[in-house]
Amino acid sequence: MFFHSKSRVEDFEAVALPHLADLYRSASLLLQNSPEAEDLVQEVYLEAWKSFHRFEPGTNCRAWLFKILFHRLHHLRRRLIKASRVEGFSDPADQDNLMAEPPVPPEIRDDDILRALAKVPPDFREVVLMADVEEFSYKEIAVTLKIPLGTVMSRLSRGRGLLRRELAEVAGLYGIRPGSERKREGRLG
Amino acid sequence: MKVLNFDSNQCERVRRQLDAYLSNELLVETTGEVLKHLEACESCSRELEARARVRGALQKAVAKQLVPEYLRAAIHERLRNARPGFFRGFRATTWALALASLALVLVAGQQWLRLQRGRQLVSSVLTLGVSDHLHCAIRGHNYPEVANPPDQLRQKLGPEYAGLLPVVQEKLPGFQVLEAHICQVPGSPRRYIHFIARRQGTILSVILTRREGKSLPEGKFLVAGTPAGIDLYRAKLEGMGVAGFETNQYFGFVVSDLGQDEMVQFAATLAPAFRNALDGSATTETDGGFGSVRSVGGRVGHPGPSVTISSCGAPILLVAEEETFTFA
Repeated sequence: MFFHSKSRVEDFEAVALPHLADLYRSASLLLQNSPEAEDLVQEVYLEAWKSFHRFEPGTNCRAWLFKILFHRLHHLRRRLIKASRVEGFSDPADQDNLMAEPPVPPEIRDDDILRALAKVPPDFREVVLMADVEEFSYKEIAVTLKIPLGTVMSRLSRGRGLLRRELAEVAGLYGIRPGSERKREGRLG
Repeated sequence: MKVLNFDSNQCERVRRQLDAYLSNELLVETTGEVLKHLEACESCSRELEARARVRGALQKAVAKQLVPEYLRAAIHERLRNARPGFFRGFRATTWALALASLALVLVAGQQWLRLQRGRQLVSSVLTLGVSDHLHCAIRGHNYPEVANPPDQLRQKLGPEYAGLLPVVQEKLPGFQVLEAHICQVPGSPRRYIHFIARRQGTILSVILTRREGKSLPEGKFLVAGTPAGIDLYRAKLEGMGVAGFETNQYFGFVVSDLGQDEMVQFAATLAPAFRNALDGSATTETDGGFGSVRSVGGRVGHPGPSVTISSCGAPILLVAEEETFTFA
């Protein structure tokens, strides 16, 4: 009697399950833990199903699911992981050295860039993932993460820079002057 | 480490916008300015290419991450076992309103069922009159073409009911009473007093039969009218219009192929007169009265020396058989 009809579940699955891969990959990269990511994604889908009656057909289901994902992720972080916060993050690079771009290896291996991404602090990592991988707009990211638009832009800029620096370190290129990446002369301490 | 391979304010401004440019978040005008600068500045172009390459590499690497095969199935299973959330967000007031609405629906449903049950009971009683009219007057044709003399009719009715004859004649203007007798339904102990009248080819029956403790149901939605404090009921059964009422001991019916409303009008005038005549005599019934005759089926009794009991042929089974008459 209470609307638990098969067709309604199927409606939900039809609009929500196509985004499973995106959600899982983001969860996995943000948590750096596959079992936890699986649990998280399952919880996201259950929560979405429970509030499916509020979902308006034709609106952005993917953004809605990601919003739930990040809501639960932040809750999880606060409660269990106590992840490093933006305020506490210590950037060894010179904050003023905006234009000192770390070198980028000529060929970027998948493992290298994923390892580099894992080293980027979560608050930056999630913005980089949302903007560069999931290709959400700044506005969508701001709404999803509940942060100001300016914070999105600054975190993305910092996040990309950190990713690039970590990538250079992983690839053993850190310290190579831009324009001479191909020399692979090793990293500076 | 500082690596500054440019010295232009323009380069610095453009590089600050490269992230937004990559994300396609720049205004059209600003995008034009950036593109214009990139065409002229090799250093900034290389920087854009480096950033785009990192971005592309990241997208490619992430896309290669495999999603566990069982995850989709696990979600599918959990969704089907999960309670949908439509009611989770309900507050106490919402629940109270929902429960109140449910209670209202239940009460309305109960009233509706009572009404339907009442209508069934009304039909089951009125069916008696229609059945008697059909198999005695219509199919049995137990009336003469020329009206029997009143003395003969009074004799057929016996002293107990002879006094009803002028009442029927008076209350059915335009009708001529052709026949009056007491009928017995074969195979059934039930008997009835039957007046058969005619008006321009229309045969109308006025029938009285003992209630035997049964009653028509009460309810304002069931009653067609209450003249002189007597509830009237009506129905259309087997193509016949029928109006019914009850006195202390009898059901009364007026039946013909005329409309229900006309039957009700006749019943409205007959009912008070019958009630006066029958209820006044009910307490003084003698062994020769209809009450004693009625008991023939189960007990000893007789109609009295001056009363002839007519048999009107096999009973007609209509909507409700007698066995179904269960009154509370």
